[in-house]
Amino acid sequence: MSEFIAIETGQMGRIAYARIAPNEDLVKAVEKLCLVAEFKNAFVRGALGSLIDASLEKGDGQTIQVSGPAVEIVSLAGEVRSLDDGSVKAELTGVIADPEGNVSGGFFIAGANPICMTLEVTLEEWLPE
Amino acid sequence: MALRPEHKSRTRTFAHPGRYNPVRVNCLTSNAGKHIRLYLEPGICLYDGLVKPLATMGISSASTTVFGGYFSSLDYCVAPPDPKGEAVIAYSAPINAGQTYMIFGNATLGESSDGIPMVHCHATIRTKDGFIKGGHIITESAIVADRPISVLVTSIDDFMIKQTFDQETNIQLFQPTQRDHYV
Repeated sequence: MSEFIAIETGQMGRIAYARIAPNEDLVKAVEKLCLVAEFKNAFVRGALGSLIDASLEKGDGQTIQVSGPAVEIVSLAGEVRSLDDGSVKAELTGVIADPEGNVSGGFFIAGANPICMTLEVTLEEWLPE
Repeated sequence: MALRPEHKSRTRTFAHPGRYNPVRVNCLTSNAGKHIRLYLEPGICLYDGLVKPLATMGISSASTTVFGGYFSSLDYCVAPPDPKGEAVIAYSAPINAGQTYMIFGNATLGESSDGIPMVHCHATIRTKDGFIKGGHIITESAIVADRPISVLVTSIDDFMIKQTFDQETNIQLFQPTQRDHYV
């Protein structure tokens, strides 16, 4: 999927629900979930769980660091795409709450968001025409 | 001796009280799920508003999105370190947010270890004092205010979401489970 596609039509396929274990990375685990479920492309349908600490992209090359434990994931949206080189790539955005309930939001940096206790995540397979 | 400085993106790995489970992505798939739109009825709690109408349709496991709406009262918990040390973290005592606007919520419907419906919900809220907060929502005491709230439901039909004891973290949590394990 290296070419930029402005509009893609398709339909939803199978549904995967997973419990991701502690210390796994949020973004990488969603990618691994697609490998387990054999989904080439998917959307995050719902997710909740907690992170040890969180790292979000700030947009200027900087990051927003939120210290836990635990940092609760209070909303998560995003997608996973299969790339031409055979890899899968998740891009996830969401809202998190620190141990006092104060919220931050942004794009989750892959490799920098370890799960604290659990992540419950539902993916819906996306089947492009 | 000076410690090697950590790269700024280095993450922490926590030791949990129980034995490490080699299965890190516990996943089941369903060939199809029904999509349902429902309203949470005014005056009832979030738990009943989700569980009861879905039960009439035979749905006991689902992933849901709660769209924005007002609650006349709502309690939420945050997740600090467990003071007893029995787990890495434990939910705090409920915090009453008063009349609350739920900006966005995700709720998982499953079955408790006792075999009754259970809803696990995290949400972003605006409290009565105007603060934006996030956390674990007590679904039994979140009372829908005078306007119905839309929910999008994706049902899980081929397996169930079941609360089971997780030895590693020493807590009960939702796991995907084959239905025939519980027949």
